Amino acid sequence: MPTDTAASAKRATSFWATAFILGMFGAGALLFTNLIQPPWGMAVMLVPMLLLIPMVRASERMQRAAGSASPAAARYNRRMLAASFAYVIGFLVAIALFVDREVSKPVAAMLSLLPTFGTFGMIWAMARYVIEESDEYLRVRTVNAALVATGLLLATGTFWGFLTTFGVAPHVPMWAVVPTWAVGLGIGQLVNKVRGA
Amino acid sequence: MKNRLKVLRAERDWSQGDLAERLEVSRQSVNAIETGKYDPSLPLAFRIADLFGLPIEAIFLKD
Repeated sequence: MPTDTAASAKRATSFWATAFILGMFGAGALLFTNLIQPPWGMAVMLVPMLLLIPMVRASERMQRAAGSASPAAARYNRRMLAASFAYVIGFLVAIALFVDREVSKPVAAMLSLLPTFGTFGMIWAMARYVIEESDEYLRVRTVNAALVATGLLLATGTFWGFLTTFGVAPHVPMWAVVPTWAVGLGIGQLVNKVRGA
Repeated sequence: MKNRLKVLRAERDWSQGDLAERLEVSRQSVNAIETGKYDPSLPLAFRIADLFGLPIEAIFLKD
């Protein structure tokens, strides 16, 4: 039954997503409690990253069962997966080369580019999806969600900036914009669902 | 905007998936158009009209 398939794919996606989040928190806890030492100990973060592979496969099964799968969406999933791995690997290499070393500012600037390339990959994957998606309804839903994400990011960023200015909240590094935008994208998809769009 | 997509589809004994395949869109798109959650663009409306061999105004109706 298609409904059973959809429900089972949804359960599998939730399972792998939860496993990924718990894995990342676990790796973070190991680092925080000094059970493993940075920089090379941080490679433990790659282990939960592998959970993204079954998660993406389960989410593709869910999309097929829900009738929202498309070739452009499949390409997007693979590009995002590759970009996410590039981001984490770039991040680990940059930290490993940076920590406990006296690096000059130009070298530090080059190291900063390493994790950024993965982020560029994510932005490129999103842009390509909007260009390549031939299903106008799926495209509109994504663009709506992206607009919600952008609005939330601008509003949150401005509010947090003033909280920082007035000494209420701590400074947040600028690289937080991409994960914050991604959270906004998830909220945007929920908004789509609630609006029935 | 209202539409007669569900009726026209039922007359031909097509599922949403069948119609989606003929229109080269996702099943979710057909469902969204049928239930009035999404109004198709003019090019897609023309494709739907061509498929059913009807003018657009015989499929899509003003509220």
